[in-house]
Amino acid sequence: MNLTSLVRVTKDWALMASFIQARNITLSFKPKNREPVTALNNFNLDVARGEFVSIVGPSGCGKSTFLNILLGLIEPDNGQMQLNGTRITGPSQERAMVFQEFGLLPWRTVTANVELGLELKGVPAEQRLIRVNELIKLVGLNGFERHYPHELSGGMKQRVGLARALATEPAVLLMDEPFAALDAQTRDLMQAELLQIWERTQKTVLFVTHSIEEAAYLSDRVVVMTARPGHTKDILKIHLPRPRDYEMRLTPEFNEIKLRIWEVLREELTSRG
Amino acid sequence: MMLKKYFMEHRRLWLGLCSLFFLVTGWELVLTYVVPVNPFFFTKPSLIAAAFKEQVQGAKLWHDLAVSSQAFIWGFSFAVIVGIPVGLVMGWRRRVEYSLDPFLTALYASPLVALAPLFIIVFGVGVLGKAALVFLLAVFPFVFNAFAGVKSTDSLLINVIRSYGGTEKDLYLKVILPSTMPYIIAGARLAIGRGLVGIIVGEFYAASEGIGFAITQAGDTYRLPDMFVGIIILSLIAVVLTELMRKLELMVAPWRATDEVR
Repeated sequence: MNLTSLVRVTKDWALMASFIQARNITLSFKPKNREPVTALNNFNLDVARGEFVSIVGPSGCGKSTFLNILLGLIEPDNGQMQLNGTRITGPSQERAMVFQEFGLLPWRTVTANVELGLELKGVPAEQRLIRVNELIKLVGLNGFERHYPHELSGGMKQRVGLARALATEPAVLLMDEPFAALDAQTRDLMQAELLQIWERTQKTVLFVTHSIEEAAYLSDRVVVMTARPGHTKDILKIHLPRPRDYEMRLTPEFNEIKLRIWEVLREELTSRG
Repeated sequence: MMLKKYFMEHRRLWLGLCSLFFLVTGWELVLTYVVPVNPFFFTKPSLIAAAFKEQVQGAKLWHDLAVSSQAFIWGFSFAVIVGIPVGLVMGWRRRVEYSLDPFLTALYASPLVALAPLFIIVFGVGVLGKAALVFLLAVFPFVFNAFAGVKSTDSLLINVIRSYGGTEKDLYLKVILPSTMPYIIAGARLAIGRGLVGIIVGEFYAASEGIGFAITQAGDTYRLPDMFVGIIILSLIAVVLTELMRKLELMVAPWRATDEVR
């Protein structure tokens, strides 16, 4: 196995001063009249400030659940989640989520959707507008300020979702399969733009995806999770130079990385039978 | 060719007008030439039209309308003020839903006009009694539709508000209420019809003025054309109010206009 462009990281990340720290996160869902389902079992993860980390894994392995715990919407049964040394107990303005199904309010215009977080934070209207206009420009939606979500394409909707998440200036951006509902070309375009925005804003990004290619292209590290109950199977460091461009995805090195992720993931997919 | 295209585009309007025209002329012709009925027992459009003209020029019709509207507006407004919050809270809070459910189900299913005599005894024959009756009939569509609207609120949007640290009040004002608005307006459409029934029943029972009273009085004295004038005016009011609600629905929920075929 050629490991020159790829270093398997098992110990050194633990030594970094970790910005996000997940320790032994365990969570079961207890549906009515059915057996409880353990979604996460002793899940551990450390993420450095400014890092781009993707999480891949079989369906139902608890990837999205993990993001929701990090967001503060779900409380784990066991274990601790810390951000910058502080325990996460609920939602806060320092974390924001970009949702797969966009989650835009259909009765609000683009502008009004982007300013939602600021509005809930109690920022005065004039300041909101300045910030919102910057962000609309950043995601390339100028001219669509007064449009409603139903008048936008999928890609544009997710730009609104991204702008809304960035508006409150969170330190951590959580992305739950944000491009899964988009067509292939729009998806490529959005990935490239996300990288540009990430490089400019220096956010810490946790990105859940089903696409190995997407994970490899975007991330500093890729976390591969086991089948349910999910925990970390392996963490792969992606040593590709930045800024990355589309051509890079056609190189042999890139394919080698994809293959390596696939090999780790495949065991989990087949073990489910 | 042009004319044909024009009719095809507006055929809903034209076909509707045609059937109305044929009904009215048919009625007139049959009663004039085929079975000339004693005007004491039935009437025809030309006589109704004459009565209509006379009444519109007189003062009594307008006075009756004003009296009835007053009771309707009071009763309907209270139905809005009470019905919407009760429905919203019922939809959002399981405990409230289970507590109120027996009353609402029983009251919604039973013919509430049966309570009219009671209401007249308790609240009197004036505006108050009629308004109370309108309220009783109109409040349930608001409660039930607001309830259904809350139940159909997208849980993703609730999570979005929560994830930005939104409070319970934010959930109500920024997600639950706006997403329930189209349901509430659909409820208002039902409530208008029921509220009008309330007015008329109240005035049938005991009243000395109002449009319902005018209809019964005309009936009692065999002035059939005058009776029809009252009925037609009531239907016109119902149609106009219901159409207004439809326009309002498109205004508050423009995103639904493209989803639904109208």
